[in-house]
Amino acid sequence: MAKEVFMPKLGMTMETGTIMKWLVQEGEEVTAGDIILEVMTNKINIEVEAYETGTMLKILYEEGEEVPVNQAIAYIGKKGEEVGEFSQPTMNSQLNSQVTEDKKSEEPVTEKKEKNGGKSRATPSARKLAREHDLQLTEIQGTGPNGRIHRKDVKAHIDNQIDTLPSVAYEDLAQKVEHKKDTETFKVTGMRKIIGDRMKQSISQAPHVTLHSEVDMSEAIRLRQQLLPIIEEKIGLRISYTEIILKAVGVTLRDHPMMNATLVNGEIYLNSRIDIGLAVSHSDGLLVPVIQGVDRLGMAQLSEQSKKLARAAREGKLIPNQLQGGTFTVSNLGMYRVDQFTPIINLPETAILGVGQIKERPIGVNSEIVLKPMMSLSLSFDHRTVDGAPAAAFLTQLVDTLEHPANLLV
Amino acid sequence: MKTKDMSYSEAIRDAISLKMHEDEDVFMLGEDIGVYGGAFGVSRGLIEEFGPKRIRNTPISESGIAGAAVGSALTGMRPILELQFSDFITIATDQIINQAAKIRYMYGGKGKVPMVLRTPSGSGTGAAAQHSQSLEVWMAHIPGLKVVQPSSSYDAKGLLISAIEDDNPVIFYEHKLLYGMKEPVPEELYRIPLGKAAIKREGTDVTVIATSIMVHKALEAAKQLEREGIEIEVIDPRTLVPLDEETIIASVSKTSRVVIVHEAVKRAGFGAEIASVIVESDAFDFLDAPIERLGGKAVPIPYNPELEKHAVPQVSDIINAVKRTLQRGEEV
Repeated sequence: MAKEVFMPKLGMTMETGTIMKWLVQEGEEVTAGDIILEVMTNKINIEVEAYETGTMLKILYEEGEEVPVNQAIAYIGKKGEEVGEFSQPTMNSQLNSQVTEDKKSEEPVTEKKEKNGGKSRATPSARKLAREHDLQLTEIQGTGPNGRIHRKDVKAHIDNQIDTLPSVAYEDLAQKVEHKKDTETFKVTGMRKIIGDRMKQSISQAPHVTLHSEVDMSEAIRLRQQLLPIIEEKIGLRISYTEIILKAVGVTLRDHPMMNATLVNGEIYLNSRIDIGLAVSHSDGLLVPVIQGVDRLGMAQLSEQSKKLARAAREGKLIPNQLQGGTFTVSNLGMYRVDQFTPIINLPETAILGVGQIKERPIGVNSEIVLKPMMSLSLSFDHRTVDGAPAAAFLTQLVDTLEHPANLLV
Repeated sequence: MKTKDMSYSEAIRDAISLKMHEDEDVFMLGEDIGVYGGAFGVSRGLIEEFGPKRIRNTPISESGIAGAAVGSALTGMRPILELQFSDFITIATDQIINQAAKIRYMYGGKGKVPMVLRTPSGSGTGAAAQHSQSLEVWMAHIPGLKVVQPSSSYDAKGLLISAIEDDNPVIFYEHKLLYGMKEPVPEELYRIPLGKAAIKREGTDVTVIATSIMVHKALEAAKQLEREGIEIEVIDPRTLVPLDEETIIASVSKTSRVVIVHEAVKRAGFGAEIASVIVESDAFDFLDAPIERLGGKAVPIPYNPELEKHAVPQVSDIINAVKRTLQRGEEV
C-alpha cells in the first residue's frame, strides 16, 4: 500500500514548511534514504529523506507551497498502484479515523485544497467557532468528507492548543470549584479582563526572552542616603529606589534606542522620547502610568512625578493620557521578598524590566567573600524587535550605571 | 379534559361535527359524502346527524364543488369541501387559485372566502399514479392560501377547528395511511393555531423536519437511532403556510444538523423551502453538516407495491441521512 511522505516537524516551533524543491518527480524510483525534497523553515533549508523504497506515485504540493507539519505531501508505493485518499490521523476521533481508514483504498486522490483555490472546506458552524477564536482554517485539520472541517475539529484544535499551555485542566478545576456552594465567584470583567487579554496577547504574539543580572547596590544606596534630605526639603517626599532605577533606565535607554522601540503593524518605531511606564498595584489589578521624558527629569522632579502618578493610580484617578504612550516599563517587586521574576512585556513596547529585592549576599571580590547589598534585574524583551546581544548590552550598561551612579550625571 | 381514543378520521369527523353544532354557517359538500360517507368514510354518520341540507352530495365535478364553496363562502357561509383524492385538485385549481386565494385581496378586504378544502393525499394504498400524489407544495406556493398537513388525530382535530374558524381559504391535506391511526383525543372542542410547529420528539444531535406520514417514519427512525446513542429531534411543521420558522431555526441552532423529509417529490418540494429558510436565518452559523433533503423520487407513483415503497422515503432512508449528517454509518 502506498505510504505518505509527511511534511517533517523539524523543531518545536515549526508549524509549517515551504517546499523549496522536489528532487524526485512523479513516476521516478526512490530508495529509502534518498534525498527527495528540500524544505525551508525558519530561514533554514533542510533536505528531507525518503523513508520508503518505491515509486513516487503522487506529489500533492508543488514547489513554493507552504504546508502544515505532519501533513502528507506525497505518496510513495508500488508502480501503478492506486493511491488512497489521504486522511490525517486525528488524535481526537478514533471513530472518524477508523471510518476514513477503511475508505482509503477506494477513493483516489483527486482533489486537495489547491483545487478549491486554496480555500478550506468548513461548515458554517466550524467557521464561526474558528472566527471567535481567531484561528485560521488552514491550521485546522478536517475529519469530514474531503477534509471538511467540522465544529468538533475546531474544538479539538482549540483543546490541543490549551493542552500545550501550562494551565492544563484549568476548566476542570473551575468546575470543581463551582460545585462548592460556599465559594465566591465573579465574572472576569473590566480591568481583570483587559489585563488578562493583554497579557495573553503579549505572551502569544511576542517571543519573550528574559535576561537576569545582579547589581551591587552599595553606591545607589549611598546616593539615595545623600539625596533623601535634599529632596525631602525640596518637595517634601522621600526618594525611593524605584526612582533611582527609573532614572538609570532612562539614561541608559538613550544609548539603546532599539530597547525603547515600539512594534506596531509590522513596523518598528524608534521613539525619540523616553517615556517609562511604572507598574503600580491597584485593588482591582494593575495599572501602568507613564512618566514622560524620564531621562531629562532631575531626581526631585522624577520623584514627584512618579509618586504623584502612583498615588493617582492607587486611588483610581488616572486619566487615559497618563496610561498611554509608554516606550518601556519598569515593574518593581523589591518591596516584597521577591528575588527575581520574569515580567511580561507591555506591548507594543519592546522590553520590560523586573526589579527584585535588595538583599545582602556573599559576593566574591578580589578573591574574598564579602557581603554586598545585591539586587536582581530581569529584562524581558521581544525577540521580534531585538536580539539577545543588544538586550544584554543594555542590561550590562544599566547594571554598570546603578553600580556607578556618577554615570547618571554624564 | 376528557379524552377518547380516536382514529385520525374520527378526529376529523369530530371536529366537523362540533363546529357544525356550534356554528350553523358551517356545512359540508363533496362527492358521495352522504350515506356512503366519502371515499375514506370520514363523513360517515354526519348526514344522519345534520341532514342532507348541511351534508351536501355533489355531482362529480371538482371544479363545480370548489366554485360552489367559494360562492357560498363569499355570501357568509363556512363551507368544508371534500375532494376524494388530492390528485383531483388539478380540476379545481382555477376556483382555488384564481378565485378563493385572490378575492379578499382584490376587493381590499370587502369580501372573504372562509372555506376549508379537505383532501386525502399520499401513497401506500396501491392506488397508483393518479391517486397517490403529494401535491401540497403547489398550494403552498399561492399567496392567499393556508396549507395544513396534520400527522396525528390530536393535531387533525385541533387544526381542522382552527381552519374552519379561519377567514381565509385553507387547504387541509389528510394522509390516507393515517386515517386508521388512533390516539387519545380530547372530546371537547380545542384549537391548534395554524403556524405553530410541534416538536414531536426532543433530541440534541440532529433535527429531523418531517411532514404528514413522514413524522411517524421519523419517530420510528428515532427509536432505532436511540439504540446507537443518536438523539434526533423530530419537528412537524403541521402547517406549511404559515410556516413556524422560529421553532425550526431554534432547533437547528441547537443541533447544528438537519434532515428534511417529506413524501412529495424531492425536486422543487417543500423541503427546498425549509432548507432555504434555515440557511437564510441565524441558524446558518450553527450548521455543521450539509442539509439532507429526503423526498419522493421524480417518478409517477408505481402500482407495484414494492416499487411504490421505493418511490418514497422509508425509515432506513431517514436513518442513513441522519448518519450522513453525523458522518457515521455505511453511507459516509
